Amino acid sequence: MKKSMNYSPRHLQYLKSVRNKSIAVNIARFAILFLLLLIWELSARFAWINPFITSSPSRIGKTIAQLYENGTLFYHVGTTLWETLTGFFIAVVVGYAVALLLWWSEAFRRISEPYFVVLNALPKIALGPLIIIWCGTGSEAIVFMTVLIGLIVAILNMLNGFMATDENKLLLLRSMGASKIQILTKLVIPSSLPNFISMLKINVGMAWIGSIMGEYIVSKAGIGYLIVYGGQVFKLDLVMSAVFILCVLAAAMYAIVALVERLVIKNK
Amino acid sequence: MKEVLRFEDVSMHYHSKQGETVALEKVNFSVKEGEFVAIIGPSGCGKTTLLSLAAGLLTPTDGKVKNGDVSFGYMLQKDELFPWRTIEKNIFLPLEIKRANTPQNRERALALAEKYGLKQFLKNYPSSLSGGMRQRAALIRTLAVNPDVLLLDEPFSALDYQTRLSVCDDVYKIIRNEKKTALLITHDISEAISVADKIFVLSQRPARVTAKHLLSFPENEPLKRRENKEFSRWFELLWKELNA
Repeated sequence: MKKSMNYSPRHLQYLKSVRNKSIAVNIARFAILFLLLLIWELSARFAWINPFITSSPSRIGKTIAQLYENGTLFYHVGTTLWETLTGFFIAVVVGYAVALLLWWSEAFRRISEPYFVVLNALPKIALGPLIIIWCGTGSEAIVFMTVLIGLIVAILNMLNGFMATDENKLLLLRSMGASKIQILTKLVIPSSLPNFISMLKINVGMAWIGSIMGEYIVSKAGIGYLIVYGGQVFKLDLVMSAVFILCVLAAAMYAIVALVERLVIKNK
Repeated sequence: MKEVLRFEDVSMHYHSKQGETVALEKVNFSVKEGEFVAIIGPSGCGKTTLLSLAAGLLTPTDGKVKNGDVSFGYMLQKDELFPWRTIEKNIFLPLEIKRANTPQNRERALALAEKYGLKQFLKNYPSSLSGGMRQRAALIRTLAVNPDVLLLDEPFSALDYQTRLSVCDDVYKIIRNEKKTALLITHDISEAISVADKIFVLSQRPARVTAKHLLSFPENEPLKRRENKEFSRWFELLWKELNA
């Protein structure tokens, strides 16, 4: 704010037009959302569409309020959130560690390559029955599914980042007599930070796919459970409400990662 | 004067699935303490191989590289400053690697940075510096561990011509000032003439030393040397030898 004193009027005008444009974009975004909700609500009210199969914003609001009142809302949200976050962290941490190991040993990397290619291409949901038998029907099975889905992606993404380390910078460090562990800590890990951030972003999505898919296969609680249950008993208000909650949670988790990214870039 | 580096019949072969490449074939030369030696050769004749051999990063297939008990500082084509470290932290990097990150050594490095006009940039990140300043920071980083011999691998080829002339002048003044032995490898004939006491000419691959010249100019500053009328005579001679 202090700086603006030194700007020329033309520059101030430019800044103002930039600000106005971003305000306009935000207004348009909300207007579209509001309009869609309004059309949806009105169509349901006047029975242009069948609210029994399409639900409506007000029915979604009522359903969520009911869930809240009978005390199950936070139970379901908490269950899914716990599964997603646990799976996410395990996949990221283990994935990072395995990628480090693969970077360290060329032999290990070359030998394991076909295994990773096959595991990456395999649709993990095919392992559903096995997971139920191995891990039971509790949250563990869903966390396991989430890890499976995120892990290979995390490994391959991080390994790509590690392997893309600049050759000349490697030569520079070697000419200083750096050991492999020094090369790792001083160069490979910091230079792959952008890959780490993009890996986190990808894995946020993967974790949600994993937990919801896991709950589809086997669950007693959670948002995925509400969707499956709602579908089976034809309570589409419940399905829509669960999807809505999912949207909010996924957006929040992505926003947290974006915040982490901004903090990291600021430090850079 | 003491000899700090000597190549004796050094050959270097590379193996790949496509075949065997002979990069160097019986290369002989030596560098004495305090000398500024330039090696010029056509592009792709194995210049970087030669520097890696000198620094002991590679072992020759045949022959001997005698680099005794001297320490080397390497300068590459680009500055290769780490963008996530401040200039100060970049300059301390070799100290950290050599586990010599003591207050005395840090102070010595900072004194060098200050002496050569980097003081105001110490807390800045490399991205905010000009190409010339970055190359100067790279030189100070190389000098931070006080190496006996500087190995320069076409250190300015990534800069545009105008910047190159002034940075070249700048950097070589610092090297002379600090009384360092230097081995420059380049394909740029005029750069070699403007800085070196001694020039070796390499042939096409497999590279051999085909000529050796001692240069004596009344002045040692690169830009002044370029103005000397001897300069174009040397240029013509070396150009012919390089393209023989």
